[in-house]
Amino acid sequence: MSVRQLLLIAVTIIGLSMVSSVALIVGAKFRRGRADARSRALLAPYRSSLLALASGEDETGQAKAELSEIPSHTWDRLRPSVIVLLTKVRGAAAEDLSDLLRSHGEVEKATKMLKSRSAVHRARAAYLFGLVRDPITAPLVVPLLSDSNADVRFVATRSLGFIGVPSSAGAILQAIGNSQGRIGVPAWIAAEALLSMGIEIAPALRAGLASNDVAVRNVCAVVAGVGTFSSAAPQLRILMNTERDDDVRVSVAVALGRLGGQLDAAVLATHTGISETAVLRRTCATALGEVGEPESLDVLSGLLGDGDRRLAYLAAESMVRIGIEGIAQLQEVASSTGQDANAARGALDVARLRGQLAGSAGES
Amino acid sequence: MSESAKVRIVVADDDRDILDLVVFKLSQAGYEVMGVSDGLAALAAIEAEPPRLAILDVMMPGLSGLDVLRKIRANEAIKGLDIILLTARARDSDVDAGFATGATDYVIKPFSPRELLHRVNALLARGNA
Repeated sequence: MSVRQLLLIAVTIIGLSMVSSVALIVGAKFRRGRADARSRALLAPYRSSLLALASGEDETGQAKAELSEIPSHTWDRLRPSVIVLLTKVRGAAAEDLSDLLRSHGEVEKATKMLKSRSAVHRARAAYLFGLVRDPITAPLVVPLLSDSNADVRFVATRSLGFIGVPSSAGAILQAIGNSQGRIGVPAWIAAEALLSMGIEIAPALRAGLASNDVAVRNVCAVVAGVGTFSSAAPQLRILMNTERDDDVRVSVAVALGRLGGQLDAAVLATHTGISETAVLRRTCATALGEVGEPESLDVLSGLLGDGDRRLAYLAAESMVRIGIEGIAQLQEVASSTGQDANAARGALDVARLRGQLAGSAGES
Repeated sequence: MSESAKVRIVVADDDRDILDLVVFKLSQAGYEVMGVSDGLAALAAIEAEPPRLAILDVMMPGLSGLDVLRKIRANEAIKGLDIILLTARARDSDVDAGFATGATDYVIKPFSPRELLHRVNALLARGNA
């Protein structure tokens, strides 16, 4: 067989492969298009009822009643739309869609799926519980926080956040730490879930601040600050002085800044000293501005000439935030020729642009 | 809402279910609603026949909601149009960016359809005042 014949055979084989691939793709698209069209036709009579339910327009309950009665093969096609809509709406509309899922036995199905050998099924079950947000399902989801599959643990954490039962908080905090060779739930997912549970997680949060696990202490400090859990303030003040981990100390400083108060200002002021890390000093300087106690002005003005120019500027910004007294001190420093004048002038310039100086001495 | 029967609103969202939902809710309230599924179609619909209000998803194929918003604000003929951004982008910086680009209002998904209607009514009433 000549080279030319071999080439011809090769080109023919390649050509046939390409044609058959195109035919396969076109065929699959055609079949999918027909299936979609059949599905749309099947669901068309129910579309307006679904939209009425999802838009909170079903005041008579007629749409919910109709959709609750549809046969299972139709429900299987309608279910994805119900799930999509449930992820995008809240309020009465979301409650109605959740009721619809319940009426078709989706909660029972998900409960069975929790014990499935498939991680995908377990994750889907946890996801559905999160969508339905029924408090009685929280104890069913909690065991998934120690699931062998990391994705299932993540979905379970987020779902518990959506369900919002505060008694799940302790279990979520336990799931943060690495154990038995498993990676714990990411801190930010845990923090988001905890924040959506409300003030009743305060006891769990305080217990978490005393945890041996650095990641747990860090998450608790962040949540205490963002969620303004003032009952955690005394423990945070102690932690600020006893904590060894730099990241946790920074989180605690941020939290104390947000919780605010004279005692917090005193604690924060002691950690702006030169022996601390640059990140902690800067965080404490900013936090002092958030607390807003005029007693902090001496400490802050002492930082204006610091060799860390970022720290000096943050201290000047905090003095602006504290108000008239702080601004007056800054104006005095700004008119001098020392190194601290630069930070003072910079913060005053920015404050002027922000309109924060109106009404203060020397400003019209 | 007899007066609102003449008020035209353009809604753009690439999620068919959400688009249908918003169109349905506003139509039920008596508005004349045109739904489109991408940013280019939204801009074309708005330029062809300027509505009183547009509701734009932010993440859409072609032109994003923010892109559409920028083009509207740069167009002398339609730059005063009220625009609500309806989006899942919920970070403070996203909201800041939306208003900085010129949004009249910003609604975060998951949203309450009832609340969205109240906001639409309030915006249009303000425009009538």
